[in-house]
Amino acid sequence: MKQPPLTIPSTIDVRAAEKHCASNGTNIYVINCPEYEVVRLSFVFHAGTITQQHPFTASATANMLAEGSAALSSQQIAERLDYFGSYFDINIDRDYAYITFCSLSKFFEPTADVIEEVILHPTFPAEEVATYSAKRRQQLSIERRKVETIAREKFAHAIFGASHPYGISYSEDMYDSLSREHIVKHYQRCYTAQRCIVVCSGNINNKVLERITSIAEQLPTAEADTDLGIPSFDTTHTIRHQHDGAVQSSVRMGRLLFPRTHEDFIPMQVLSTLLGGYFGSRLMQNLRERNGYTYGAFCAMVNFQHTGYLALATQVGKEVTDDALQEIAYEIERLRTEPIPQEELDLVKNIMAGELMRILDGPFGIADVTTENILCGFDNSHIQTHLQRIRQTTPEQLQALAKKYLQPQDLVTVVVGDFK
Amino acid sequence: MITYHKKTLSNGLTVIANHDTTSRMAAVNILYKVGARNENPNRTGLAHLFEHLMFRGTHQIPDFDTPIQMACGENNAFTNNDYTDFYITLPLANIETALWLESDRMRGLNLSEEACKIEKRVVIEEFRQRYLNQPYGDANMLLRALAYKVHPYRWATIGISPEHIEQASIEEIRNFYDRFYQPSNAILSFSGDMEAEEFFTLAEKWFGSIPNTSHPAAEIPAEPAQCEARRQVVERDVPATTISIAFKMGNRLSADFFLGDITSDILAGGDSARLYEHLIKNKRLFASVNAYITGDVDCGLFVFTGQLLPTTTEEQAEQAFWDEIEELQHNFVSEYELEKVKNKFEANTLFGELNVMNKAMNLGYYEMIGDLPLINREVETYRSLSAADIASFAERIFRKENSSTLIYRAK
Repeated sequence: MKQPPLTIPSTIDVRAAEKHCASNGTNIYVINCPEYEVVRLSFVFHAGTITQQHPFTASATANMLAEGSAALSSQQIAERLDYFGSYFDINIDRDYAYITFCSLSKFFEPTADVIEEVILHPTFPAEEVATYSAKRRQQLSIERRKVETIAREKFAHAIFGASHPYGISYSEDMYDSLSREHIVKHYQRCYTAQRCIVVCSGNINNKVLERITSIAEQLPTAEADTDLGIPSFDTTHTIRHQHDGAVQSSVRMGRLLFPRTHEDFIPMQVLSTLLGGYFGSRLMQNLRERNGYTYGAFCAMVNFQHTGYLALATQVGKEVTDDALQEIAYEIERLRTEPIPQEELDLVKNIMAGELMRILDGPFGIADVTTENILCGFDNSHIQTHLQRIRQTTPEQLQALAKKYLQPQDLVTVVVGDFK
Repeated sequence: MITYHKKTLSNGLTVIANHDTTSRMAAVNILYKVGARNENPNRTGLAHLFEHLMFRGTHQIPDFDTPIQMACGENNAFTNNDYTDFYITLPLANIETALWLESDRMRGLNLSEEACKIEKRVVIEEFRQRYLNQPYGDANMLLRALAYKVHPYRWATIGISPEHIEQASIEEIRNFYDRFYQPSNAILSFSGDMEAEEFFTLAEKWFGSIPNTSHPAAEIPAEPAQCEARRQVVERDVPATTISIAFKMGNRLSADFFLGDITSDILAGGDSARLYEHLIKNKRLFASVNAYITGDVDCGLFVFTGQLLPTTTEEQAEQAFWDEIEELQHNFVSEYELEKVKNKFEANTLFGELNVMNKAMNLGYYEMIGDLPLINREVETYRSLSAADIASFAERIFRKENSSTLIYRAK
């Protein structure tokens, strides 16, 4: 039968986040979706790994917030959250720590009592620190048996420099020197009103908002840090790392570029999507569909607070590693030398619009996008701008960007595998 | 609570629709009642390979993904031991694009030698990436093969070895398609802002004229009762030893499923559950620990598994699991503990109903297991279980002669 006609959305309407300011200066953003009987509450602290003064402190602090508080033991915290079917989720990246709680609306009150303990009164008991360190140490040593983990770490070294706060990684042995004092100090320095934003979504009525505010306004105030920026980068262009017994090689390529606020970020996102951001992308067509070298290949722009980069990743059969590298180079070169067919570009634009719509479907996704916008200094009207900027990109513009940013001598290549 | 309407088309295709008024997206799910359990033991991995081939284009539409993506949609699929599932989410306005594509590939696949050759290579790379090039990648395969001797659950969805995939012939692949990809062997389910009747009209328009060839229900060899404790020790280049103990239990529609589910939640549902509290935090024997049920359609497994800390001996670790089992058998869980796992089950059910894709997928799944109304009865069934039920389940299932223990030893 005939293909049905298509409707392509040209606008996305997203609820604006309502901003409230607690008496201590904490900003609280509310996305009220009363049709869902749930509450999701996130605290985002500028407390990512670049803010730590001792290895593993930032992740340990975030991950151990619920391991005991002034009034509750770790077991009581877990017990109470479980009892009401509530849960929390900790995420940490180089810049920020994200602590997110979810509960049914009918159980928000008792859940909030636990949230208050976890966010404001964690005690980080020494015993729990020991258990945590032993567990993480073992997990990390297992992770580091995988070629993709090694490649990810080596790639960060290559792009930023092995001792740069954005590039550094530590031996798992360093967990042995992690102490309660390091964690307490990090918590006191970074978990303050000035370094925090609160984002909530779901059914946020006045009573819920008052309770959230009562927690947020107890965050201690500290003098805002003077932003010292970050050290300069020290890029290495090629790393080949031997990993005995690997049947596949892990490949990472990319280069340092700029953060999301840069005017070329969105068109570079379009370009990276075209290269490796969807199932039928050029890398997938070439490496997987035409050659069967790999199960998957990906490419994306990654945003940090102070910079951003383009990264491409794949895992290929050991015997075809060099062929695959050649094909990747060929696909990048094509972006520089051939204009992108309009049809392919339209496809990529629609994929990106669809992705945006899918993320924004439901209260939790809207909250995630809102958070990302706030951290970049945008409000939610940026979503419409974002969509327009995607739709405005042209083959000429993308080719010019590829010529400018994807010159072979600027690219970083990391391969981890068995080369013997 | 998920409301739904169901209809069967004249060619045997089952259609189920949920009217969701909050979302601007729609989800279309199509489930084929074929999984690894339908495979020939000498040609395992075929169901999963076939899932891949479903994306290689048809005589009418050579490229499956592009039209979905042009419609701002996203699609994917998975295969397990019991069934193969394909799903699409896209703006509701483009719903017919999804139906056009799914109806076309139900019978119109272009299974060329070339397509099969490339897809076989991709699947073999997947085999290597996920099962061979990964610490503990083969642990589940070994445990299955230990616990099942006859039933096809003894192999994993990816198959027994890459050679099985390599050697699959084009005839075998075509026969598989004709045998299992038929309207009467499929379930189409939908969730989005559209009345059920309207969706049924669209389903009729796109799928109604597909001819059906029925085949008798697949015969699956039954696993004989296990009468002896089984044990296997392997040594691998991994940093930590893991121990898994699997017990056979009843099928998805038996009372065992819920009993097993609630017991696994008592043991491992969240950070306040017993195994985490006792074995990680108090006794410090394990780095990670879990208890879960496989939840298969036919008789499934209840699995205890844990990764040892370097200071723990294998005997200590294994004994620790048996101590937990004895506790379950001899002392009733408290009302408080029971209420906790029940609340959690209810909340997780509600969190899972927040988006259209989960709803469409679940509708297909419950229809496949043969009890669609169960989708709204699970919370109630789970709530009705008592402490005595759990103790007697533990007594009946957690017996040495019903156990298969895998020691995955670090060299």
